[in-house]
Amino acid sequence: MTERKLPLSGLHVADFSWFAAGPIVTEVMGIYGAEVVRVESEARVDGLRTIMPFAKDKTGYNVSGWFNNYNAGKLSVTLNLNTEKGKELAYRLVRWADVLVSNFTPRVVERWGLTYEELRKVKPDIIAAYEPMQGFEGPHRDFLGFGAILTPITGFAHLTGFPHQPPVGMGTNYPDYVINPIHTLTAVLAALRYRRKTGKGQRIELAQLDSSVSALGPALMDYAVNGRVQNRAGNRLPHASPHGAFPCLPLEGAGFLGEDEDRWCAIAVFDDTQWQALCRAMGNPAWSQDPRFATLLSRKKHEDELEQQIAEWTGTKTPQEVMETLQAAGVPAGVVQNGRDVLEGDPHLKERGYYVYLDHPEAGRTAYDGPGFRLTKTPGVLRSPAPCLGEHNEKVCKEILGLDDEEIAELLIEQVLY
Amino acid sequence: MPDEPDRPSALDDIRVLDISGEMGLYCTKLLADLGADVTQIEPPGGHPARRIGPFYHDETDAEKSLYFWNLTTSKRSITLNLEDGDGRDLLRRLVRTADVVVETFPPGYLDGLGLGYEGLCRIKPDIILTSITGFGQWGPHAHYLAPDIVGAAMSGVMWMAGFPEDPPNLLYGQQAYLSASIQAAAGTVMALYHRDLTGEGQQVEVSMQEALSISQETAMQTWDMRKEMRGRQGVGRLGVRVPGIGPYECTDGWVYCFVGTPGGAPWSDLLAWMIEEGKAEDLEQEPHKSMAENISMPFLTSIMLEPETAAEKLSKLAHVHEVLERFIASKSKWDVYQEGQSRRLLIGIVSTPEDLVRNPQLNFRGYYREVHHPELADTLRYPGPPYVLSETPAALRRRPPLIGEHNEEVYCGELGLTHQELEALDRAGAI
Repeated sequence: MTERKLPLSGLHVADFSWFAAGPIVTEVMGIYGAEVVRVESEARVDGLRTIMPFAKDKTGYNVSGWFNNYNAGKLSVTLNLNTEKGKELAYRLVRWADVLVSNFTPRVVERWGLTYEELRKVKPDIIAAYEPMQGFEGPHRDFLGFGAILTPITGFAHLTGFPHQPPVGMGTNYPDYVINPIHTLTAVLAALRYRRKTGKGQRIELAQLDSSVSALGPALMDYAVNGRVQNRAGNRLPHASPHGAFPCLPLEGAGFLGEDEDRWCAIAVFDDTQWQALCRAMGNPAWSQDPRFATLLSRKKHEDELEQQIAEWTGTKTPQEVMETLQAAGVPAGVVQNGRDVLEGDPHLKERGYYVYLDHPEAGRTAYDGPGFRLTKTPGVLRSPAPCLGEHNEKVCKEILGLDDEEIAELLIEQVLY
Repeated sequence: MPDEPDRPSALDDIRVLDISGEMGLYCTKLLADLGADVTQIEPPGGHPARRIGPFYHDETDAEKSLYFWNLTTSKRSITLNLEDGDGRDLLRRLVRTADVVVETFPPGYLDGLGLGYEGLCRIKPDIILTSITGFGQWGPHAHYLAPDIVGAAMSGVMWMAGFPEDPPNLLYGQQAYLSASIQAAAGTVMALYHRDLTGEGQQVEVSMQEALSISQETAMQTWDMRKEMRGRQGVGRLGVRVPGIGPYECTDGWVYCFVGTPGGAPWSDLLAWMIEEGKAEDLEQEPHKSMAENISMPFLTSIMLEPETAAEKLSKLAHVHEVLERFIASKSKWDVYQEGQSRRLLIGIVSTPEDLVRNPQLNFRGYYREVHHPELADTLRYPGPPYVLSETPAALRRRPPLIGEHNEEVYCGELGLTHQELEALDRAGAI
């Protein structure tokens, strides 16, 4: 079998980003063939390297599952960009690069001379993608933000959850993982096409505020056009009923302190055919034959009672039973899966090999997310685990930055390679 | 910034045929706004997503769905009945000059009509077929029905959201669908880039479950590495209400604070603000002052490590939280947000849709776009593209189309059908 070149084989990516929204962009590029160098620094370690989960009984900067999952396949070089020599080496890297990605704040980008104008002097056709929190211009450009407050600022917290609860968001820094990085990736790939056609690079700016808010279009338009401020509505949808998560048999003793783990199955019915199928699957209980539940509109009127009744049925089954029974009957249903389920309990993900296990010198053999899209003729590959901090200093210095052993030694002593 | 239809675009040499359902609409919107010629192929009577609200002035009408409009900027529309033999012939003719076809049908459906990847290749060997479904094209769950909530549930993301005493929360706004579409857009442009170099097309396969799964943040790794379960935690990731972390109510809404964590000014700066305004109450004095000034993650960890004194210290913390609650409750959310940020405190407004539409930063940067709808004699405000490209701007290039608005333009103008033929096909239900 001839070895197929991947779509981005031969492409060079300089990753001046950290946390999630930046690194995920370049990780996917690496999966599809690009060579990616992450620029880190011991003076300013990527926060994710210091946050759990850590490999069991391990410490240090190289064992965080949070960091590792977004950095498979990359080389890591430590450069102290607060030094003149560090900056000079950064520019040498830019000369090597086709694409640069950064989610540093505008202040930091400017301080370190990584603005597009400066990069162009070094590499005229560079494609530079920036992911500032709120943009490089404007009254809030220097506002502080991390994922934790991005979710409320961008409107997700207000709109998600049950109305009787305060707005707490999605329990994760949600826009950081797909919306922001993959929007950015789409723009970078479009820019790469254009550059191949015309030889011109360009500057891409994805303000995380803009990109996140773009995922809330209907609510924005409902206000802009209709003057309506939508509020959180739990798990219900106006055009489906039932629609929500239903309690199933708890998993005995699975909790952290040996308590039962609550289990849920999502069920969604959009039309009368699905409703009748649901009733049949439940054994046509008497309550379900009541005209109060016969149509979507009438189910919406009695939705509290509807949900209670269905919960009584689901409560006697495992979520897998509910899902399999209902799917077989033509009713949309899905287990509300957790970290253990996706890794160990989901036969579909397993067969598709979505999670890829890689051996890391310090963290051990751990699971990484695969790419979120697949190309059938040129499938992506997770070639190596996440790098240790500065693991590839020598390799990058020699092979990319053109330095010899003496120069490298000096830079180490001067704490430039730091 | 006004839209610039005369600037070059990154995809202006690309023709996309969109035969997808709801799950694929955002993918092709991204491609269309980047300049691709996207034809939305709707069943006669209109795309089912046109029945989803909210609606323009609450007028339930297939030509007035704000939900549909948000997903179909920059696209043209034709009607076509895939179940009809003549309809399928028309599709085949359109594929001859297409670069990309986007679909969300159950696996095997298009193959059954001779219009799957192999069938399309016979018409156009370098075609790119982007197939977006709940669980991908193969595997034990490939035929599962998958509305957005099923994607959110099976991806592990729903598990993380909300309060432990409540059912898990669905993410607002069809996030699983959107994630699948965004991944599909990136995959499609990557396939185009590959084809530019090699002449080779291929199928782009997206499973909504896989598209969203990385958004579990650390739940997967926490189990994998430590066999510990990360679950929904409501207000706090630590199970205790930490002062300065979490939602706080204002006179007119909420803010979300993350004070006492690295990346923002310390708690002592928040306390100084409260003191300045005379609202620190007894936190200005000991024994509260030194505790309030030092609240941070390491500080809290140290409390938890000394169980004998923990209870007493936690109740002091609870008092700090209450005073802070009263402080914030006396102010409006925009004041807390803007004043707090000017003091470098990690505080974010809990934006409502109104706050977002009025957000000064978004408006300064021209994020929102005005789109004119002549049939309504109205100009409406739309969200703009998620990114700004300096050479090949993304833009809302045309208003969302009416049902079959471009039938004549495409069938007659491009395929060369006569008006009589068009009428006959219409009467026969082929379009």
